[in-house]
Amino acid sequence: MGLALAVEPPLAAPVDDDQALISATLAGRTEAFGELVTRYQRAVYHLAVRTLHDATEAEDAAQEAFLKAYRALATFRPGAKFSTWIFTICYRACCDRLAKRKRLSHDELPDRADPSAGPAALAERNDDARRLHAAIDELPEKYRAVITLYHLQGKQYEEIATVLNLPLGTVKTHLFRAKEQLRKALST
Amino acid sequence: MNRFDDDDDLDRAIAALPLAEPPAGFHARVMAATVYRAEPLVRNWEVWLIGTLVALAAWLCWLVAATPHAAEQLTYFTTQALERSGLTSDSTLLWLAVGASAAWWISQLSFPTSSASRVRIEAR
Repeated sequence: MGLALAVEPPLAAPVDDDQALISATLAGRTEAFGELVTRYQRAVYHLAVRTLHDATEAEDAAQEAFLKAYRALATFRPGAKFSTWIFTICYRACCDRLAKRKRLSHDELPDRADPSAGPAALAERNDDARRLHAAIDELPEKYRAVITLYHLQGKQYEEIATVLNLPLGTVKTHLFRAKEQLRKALST
Repeated sequence: MNRFDDDDDLDRAIAALPLAEPPAGFHARVMAATVYRAEPLVRNWEVWLIGTLVALAAWLCWLVAATPHAAEQLTYFTTQALERSGLTSDSTLLWLAVGASAAWWISQLSFPTSSASRVRIEAR
């Protein structure tokens, strides 16, 4: 492990491996962390905005996730996937914010308006992607989280289970039911 | 028949959904809050520690100044405590020195790595 820190490849060359970027960041090279942020900012922000349904809060949660990841970077387990780790941190930050919202309102708030829904988006509502997005937004929170991570991570069910802290079987069941509900919603 | 009835079609449609774009300046704000954030000169716990030590020192100074013959009494009680604990005895000091040097020598030894931990290190 110490060897990885001692040998510093020039960062000018493209680094595909997240672990190399983490090692470079720990060795004090700030641009390496910048590259990690560039790689994951869209996915992390997407997860936050889909979970929270509020652009401002999502930005805060995504920023908090990167800040926590940066502070805990030394504890990142080699061999683990950085994407799973950062999604877990982000999802927990979102859950904390949702819990705070519920505490403040004493009951579940209705989902806020989709921040991306402007006039141009409304004009496209007949579009398949638009309908699918709308159908995902209508899903219950637990199914929406699974579908959002399925969108971000593909068929990596174990990674999704890790992020959501759920058993693998539950993730598969949630995904199956979420798809069923999506099909039903899209068929009408 | 709906075009999303087929599982593969639905999977493809989900995978093709565009990701939400983070707001402009998001990357810069993250960088400013992480790698470019100036480290505070003194941390919170250090402020508390320094404050406590200063308060303790001030209290001791006040105690010594307010009590008649305080310095002599303090020296007397300290000497008594050292004698009672045996720290002035030659044999105690000798054993302490032997213990400390043994601990130092042991800390300098290097032991061969076991095969199990070698596998763990290589796996990393």
